[in-house]
Amino acid sequence: MLHLRSHNLLIQKTLSEAYEANEKGAPLTLDRIVSDFDYTTFHITNTPDNKVILWVSIRTKAWQSVLQCDPNNGLVSFLQSKYANAAGVSVSNNTEPGYDFTLQIDLNALNQDSIVQVSLLKTMVLSFPFHLAFQEFAQLCTLPIPEDGSSIDSKTLYAIQHRDDEQFFIKASNDRITVIFETVFQDETDKVLGKVFLQEFVDARKRNRSIQSAPQVLVSHEPPLELQNQKTTRNVQADSSRRFITFVLFPRHFQTEELQFSSVSQLTLFRNYFHYHIKCSKAYMHSRMRFRVDTFVKVLNRAKVDDEEEDNESETQQHTRRTITGRKMVY
Amino acid sequence: MEDWRRIDIDAFDPESGRLTAADLIPPNQAQVTLQELQPKIQQIRSMSTSGDMISAIQLATSDPPYGADDSTKAQYLQAVLEALGQTRQADISNIIKQLSPKQHDVLIKYLYKGMSVPEGQKQGGILLSWFEKLTQEAGVNPVVHYLSDRRTV
Amino acid sequence: MSQSLRPYLTAVRYSLEAALTLSNFSSQEVERHNRPEIEVGNTSAELLLQPMHVSRNENEQVLIETSVNSVRVNIKVKQADEIEQILVHKFTRFLEQRAESFHILRRTPIAGYSISFLITNKHTETMKTSKLVDFIIEFMEEVDKEISEMKLFLNARARFVAEAYLGEFVY
Repeated sequence: MLHLRSHNLLIQKTLSEAYEANEKGAPLTLDRIVSDFDYTTFHITNTPDNKVILWVSIRTKAWQSVLQCDPNNGLVSFLQSKYANAAGVSVSNNTEPGYDFTLQIDLNALNQDSIVQVSLLKTMVLSFPFHLAFQEFAQLCTLPIPEDGSSIDSKTLYAIQHRDDEQFFIKASNDRITVIFETVFQDETDKVLGKVFLQEFVDARKRNRSIQSAPQVLVSHEPPLELQNQKTTRNVQADSSRRFITFVLFPRHFQTEELQFSSVSQLTLFRNYFHYHIKCSKAYMHSRMRFRVDTFVKVLNRAKVDDEEEDNESETQQHTRRTITGRKMVY
Repeated sequence: MEDWRRIDIDAFDPESGRLTAADLIPPNQAQVTLQELQPKIQQIRSMSTSGDMISAIQLATSDPPYGADDSTKAQYLQAVLEALGQTRQADISNIIKQLSPKQHDVLIKYLYKGMSVPEGQKQGGILLSWFEKLTQEAGVNPVVHYLSDRRTV
Repeated sequence: MSQSLRPYLTAVRYSLEAALTLSNFSSQEVERHNRPEIEVGNTSAELLLQPMHVSRNENEQVLIETSVNSVRVNIKVKQADEIEQILVHKFTRFLEQRAESFHILRRTPIAGYSISFLITNKHTETMKTSKLVDFIIEFMEEVDKEISEMKLFLNARARFVAEAYLGEFVY
């Protein structure tokens, strides 16, 4: 599996099951907890009084910081608008306790397309700050270009804390949008392997002509300039296992709604994709070493004198005395 | 002392009959000082700079300073390593053919010794080709002699 | 085989052939013990023979320590950069954890080396000495090859992964 999918397969499957069972007239009793990357948990359950209505709740690490990205608290209405066209899905007014956001699903009105939409819930939440940045970009574009040709940067930097110790940042300018990921390697080995991988991310665009229109990637140990005079960088220490990966999105990456969505869903999965492939290469090397060990053992076994078959038992019996416990005497 | 249980008390017993590495150095070796050895080192150096590799190696491998202290041995080793390093690849087997078995034994001591110090490891390739030519000529014999010989260079 | 690898392996082969002449030898310190004398240093220097250093360069060395009934072979595998260091470390650890199927492998290398083998008279009695030497030589060859192959693979994989990810942004 090369690519990670942006929708959650388990949610999709659970909802499809519930949908089919409901079609047959026997709605399922559901109470499932589904997890996703970056400390995200979903809870799928029936409403207490009606089995045909489901609640899908999400709790995610990033919720608080995503909420803070917009001073006008536009997140919930943003999600509302995203699910407005999905049949059978509505935003519940009562958020389930312990969760951040709840969708109410009417199985009678559901269809395949809205199932997919629901399984994209996490991506939807994370796409909110991107959405804000795209809007801001549209505004900045209309401003006159400064005479010295420099770019106009937005004053706001969206910081999304998606893991305990890792954040990502989005900043709009009048000619590009910069997305900066901060990542920490817990393991020394991961750090070195990560270095190889990141180097390839940086070089890939230069080397391969067919992906030249991809976003530019930069890697640094120090926080990039965009982050340096921001209050949000207070907990960004430049310790040795920290890396900053900058993606520079050009207008061609977010011209239309569809492009915006696919760029965002790729970017939100970047950290997972990157660490996932480091783990994959370790796993591959492990299996490779296992194979190599077998071949070495074979070579070593060639050295053995195969005396087991031909040696006459009686002779060896005389030479080795054993104690009562069966231990061999050593002279 | 925390790990007094692990103290090897036999080591403190003069009657234990144990031998240390120092006890194994063969007795009655001629003591050589750096002053006495200096002319020989000079001679090896001048022979190898003038290109007379056969004489240089022959001189170096006859009567090595077994009885000298470590720093003197290191100086001598340095001169020998230089001579070995300056020899052309093509000449190596020719020179080895002209050495006696005794000199082979001495030569291999310097090869092993050279490969154990950083200066020799830098020119590991040339020492290894000496080693290869030597074993082609004399087989495994010098290695076995080296293993059991307590006289070190 | 590269030009300087052959003499290196030849030197190791000759040194091992000379060293692997072991005999059964009971401990002279403790009654009814029979232990590899090379591992119990400081007690009887007369049982130890001259150590043999074979080095190709600073990063690739073999130290063969010989005693009357055991030989310890320590190999320093080439580690040119951080990645090779990690690969060598992982690989040797992996082997050492499976030491029981290797018989002659020592569970920890001695300081300064990547991997150590301990061959005792028991091993030379049950195995053909020449094949044991072959094993060590083949091991040295294969480890180098394996490490560089793994490194190449890692780079190729990283490249593929990066290009596949960025390829998603091309419309």
